[in-house]
Amino acid sequence: METSFFALGTVFVPILGSLTIPLAGLVSKSFRNFWAVVLAVVTFILPLFLMRDVLQASTDKFIFYYPTIPNFDFILLIDSFSVFVSLVSSFIGALIVLYSIDYISHNENQNEYYMMVVMFIGSMMGLVFSGSLIFMYLFWEIAAICSWRLIGFYRHPLHIVKADKSFLITFFGAVVMLFGFIQIYDCTHTFNITMMQNVPVSSLAIFLILIGMFSKSATFPLHTWLPDAGVAPSTVTSLLHAAVLVKIGVYAYARLFCYTFNIPGEWNIAIPVLVMFSSLVSAGAALVEYDIKRILALSTVSQIGYIFLGFWTKTIIGVAGGALFILMHGLAKAGLFLCAGIIEHGTGKRDIRELGGLFKSMPFTAISFLACILSVIGIPPFGGFFSKFMVISGTVEAGRPGIAFMGLMVAVMTAIYLFRLFHGVFAGENKTYGHEGSKLMVAIVLILAILSLLCGVFIGIFGSFAEISACQLLRGIR
Amino acid sequence: MNVNLLIFLPIVAPVICGILCWLIPEHMKKIRSIFAVLCTMTIGWVSWKIFVSGNVSFTTTWFISTINFSLKAGDLSRFILLWIWGFSFLISIYVSSRMYFERLREFLTYLLITAGLASGAVLADSFIVLLFFWEALLITLYLFVALGSSENSVRTAVKSFVLVGFCDFCLILGIALYWKITGSFDFPVHPLCIKGMAGLSFILMVIGATGKAGALPFHTWIPDAAIDAPVSFMAYLPGSLEKLLGIYLLTRICLDFFTITPGSMASIGLMTLGALTIVIAVSMALIQKDVKRLLSYHAISQVGYMIVGIGTGIPAGIVGGLFHMLNNAVYKSALFLGAGSVELKTKTTDLKSLGGLYNQMPVTGICFLICSAAISGLWPLNGYVSKEMVIHGALESGYKIFAVASWIGAILTFASFLKASHSIFFGEKKENLKEVKDSNVAILFPMILLALLCIFFGLYSKLPLNMITGAINIGQHHDFSEHALNIFNMASGITFACLIFAFLLHRYGWLKAGKKAYLASEVVHNLPAIKTLYNLAEKRVFDLYVQGMKLIGALSIALYYGFDRSSDWIYEKAVVNSGTRAISSLRSVHRGNATQYVTWIFVGVVIVTIFMLIF
Repeated sequence: METSFFALGTVFVPILGSLTIPLAGLVSKSFRNFWAVVLAVVTFILPLFLMRDVLQASTDKFIFYYPTIPNFDFILLIDSFSVFVSLVSSFIGALIVLYSIDYISHNENQNEYYMMVVMFIGSMMGLVFSGSLIFMYLFWEIAAICSWRLIGFYRHPLHIVKADKSFLITFFGAVVMLFGFIQIYDCTHTFNITMMQNVPVSSLAIFLILIGMFSKSATFPLHTWLPDAGVAPSTVTSLLHAAVLVKIGVYAYARLFCYTFNIPGEWNIAIPVLVMFSSLVSAGAALVEYDIKRILALSTVSQIGYIFLGFWTKTIIGVAGGALFILMHGLAKAGLFLCAGIIEHGTGKRDIRELGGLFKSMPFTAISFLACILSVIGIPPFGGFFSKFMVISGTVEAGRPGIAFMGLMVAVMTAIYLFRLFHGVFAGENKTYGHEGSKLMVAIVLILAILSLLCGVFIGIFGSFAEISACQLLRGIR
Repeated sequence: MNVNLLIFLPIVAPVICGILCWLIPEHMKKIRSIFAVLCTMTIGWVSWKIFVSGNVSFTTTWFISTINFSLKAGDLSRFILLWIWGFSFLISIYVSSRMYFERLREFLTYLLITAGLASGAVLADSFIVLLFFWEALLITLYLFVALGSSENSVRTAVKSFVLVGFCDFCLILGIALYWKITGSFDFPVHPLCIKGMAGLSFILMVIGATGKAGALPFHTWIPDAAIDAPVSFMAYLPGSLEKLLGIYLLTRICLDFFTITPGSMASIGLMTLGALTIVIAVSMALIQKDVKRLLSYHAISQVGYMIVGIGTGIPAGIVGGLFHMLNNAVYKSALFLGAGSVELKTKTTDLKSLGGLYNQMPVTGICFLICSAAISGLWPLNGYVSKEMVIHGALESGYKIFAVASWIGAILTFASFLKASHSIFFGEKKENLKEVKDSNVAILFPMILLALLCIFFGLYSKLPLNMITGAINIGQHHDFSEHALNIFNMASGITFACLIFAFLLHRYGWLKAGKKAYLASEVVHNLPAIKTLYNLAEKRVFDLYVQGMKLIGALSIALYYGFDRSSDWIYEKAVVNSGTRAISSLRSVHRGNATQYVTWIFVGVVIVTIFMLIF
């Protein structure tokens, strides 16, 4: 079958399929769950074929045009970077859907939940394969709507306020970004990103687009909606933090600023400072907070800074490191949030001052949690080590050792707040009753922890693919 | 087997064996212990095969086309590898004999994995491979310390992780800068001159190496771990393995990665760090009243001699520093094991609660005394030879101040070991310790072997010294063993005078404290200005971790309220509140009145029309 078939399938199977989930819910609960899992798994399997095609192809990329109205063509851009990000997102998304079966089983509105989750994954697929700025924006907003519904999933008035806040901030960013796109259109007369490579872009357009990216990827000062989104079910927060939502911004950054445009000089000075400062602020905040999900969310904000930094370097090692970071952070952070879900499920608490000594009652969750925090800190043999090391090396290569040092200081702070969290929950005096999660839930977090380890041990496979992605991305502007 | 693949065995096999150890069920713990000992013995034999095989190497492309996975059993690497497995074997025997030790399964697993990772670190022939194994040791360090039964064990585990982790992160940055200069992550063929960015890289790498070895100022987790972690861990990691690794890397940095010339800033800087480590740590050791804490400060202090020796940039000093690394690993392990043997039988390591144990624990006592004499640098033991070489190197470098620091260290080391040995094995016998008997053979065997090595390496220093001189590149061949035990020179004379002074100091303190040996150091402790410094040190004013955590805590609060919460406050006000108000005002105009709606539509159409006409 053709590459375009797999690409269209990857985007539209989850998006259109999600609309059928409520219908499946009319048949039975278990059929609906099964159908949601099938959609999520298929969304993961289809990009595998794309990976095969990309690796076997003699060209760097596949571009497919589907004309709609003039200048608004639906364009699919398939290269190793988009396939890499789609594989990571869909894989974690599939695991999260699987985990949801037990986690969400006691809640109401499950049809809506599964529909939104699968559409969320689909919107990410659409975004990564979009070769048109306007469709990128479209999928961007579909993801925002899904996340808005999911954050307020429990319908508590406070949760709805938080969901509105998240939506308004990311929507504000997206609209500002759209103005940036329009500015670019004004110069290039096209929304097709493959036709605007190496076009000089004004500083204002960069600024406007960056606001959109920073708001979506929760970077200071547009980050505070992300910790607030912790009111959503743990599975959803995993999606928001690990696999999909916050990766949208960094993906767009890489696609536009590594592949398409050359950033003006002043932004080359400002961006690394801004993203590392964002990492530092959120690491500091994580050391003060007590809520598990808020700490993990702030940790996401902190780690996103490294991904931006990696892509900013525009060096092969830095960009490959940024791409690997998406994978390693995605796996580890999903593991951490799903562990947080098990803890919340088992104890009914999220405040580390009310928790403690749970290692004995939740040994598998504790071990998975520890493995995932080691990966996030960047300790070998876990995969997080390689991605962080490559980003730091790339930053030094780009001539900013001071920023690299700041990055390492943030890594030290990461170790401190994550161990504070780990010990607050699992070590010390047993303050509350807790029980291990269901077999399926524990199996998923163990898989994520083991994968974090295997990604480090078999880094050769992932690293070489990330390197190919980086080379292809950077070739765009060279 | 292909000899090049043999190089993987000391790395991969122990990790697999460690996992198997974990999987062996609790009711088969004897089999597990035997298995662990056999593993260390077999891999030790493999290390010997590698040692005699010469330069074995393996290279393949790793995760990026410009990055290689390279292993090489170079001369120094093979030498260190052999000792890693020697110590692992002895500690596995020691630990396995303590069958009641409830965390034995974890300990043996961590021991094997640690030895495998340490082997990987010394066999690495590229910076990234080195980092991979080097940093992975953080995990086993954390797990080992957390094994302790004290309520502070976990806290100390984090402290050790953060402090050593900080040093490791410095090493990462140092390596990245080195790569920026040379363009390759492989170990260089030609060393760099220390200037500009290379100088910064050198400093960061030295922090990484000396931090792992336990030098100042990143040492403060070691005394805490002495109390909160199992004593066999102290004998294994801070006592021997981390010294081997840290000093191995420091040697590579100073000889292979950078060029250090005697008298250069780098040389003086390193010697200063070494001298401060010697004097400050041994001063702290002197006043300790718990034998494990006392030993832990000596574990730090002795690193100072190694750094001074290597920092001289002079063959005698470098070889002396490396020999001291080996000697320290030998006697420090034995001393910790001795302390462990005493703790096992008496359930305490508090010097005040101990006394007169020599008759009841003669073998432990003799081993402890021999090793105490060796660490104090008594002639003709191994410590004497290596310390004298370091002092000669310091004198030859022209900076006598560093030799003076070594002599001060010698005085305080001997004084503190006189206090420790006197308090534990001599003096008044405690009532509750009268039934105490010596430990079993498996516990004594490693101590006896290590004590004998102290004597052997002193009397026959030719063997280790030739191995060391053959393992490093210091220009022409030197035979330091010829004059190793020579006492008729000025430096040896001063050393002997220092030792006599230390003995008199101990005797004076002992008499002044009413013949209570554990209070013998109080005469120094209570000196006017010194007392204040000691009090500040006891309050952890100089503890980098404690002060660093306070700083990070304050910084975090400032960042949290200054940036995170303040920006959120703006959103809450601007987004949520204004949004709520806008919605409520819009609600107020929706009254369900059709005429009103038509009016709104009409007004809207007029506004849009005007807008379109204008623009």
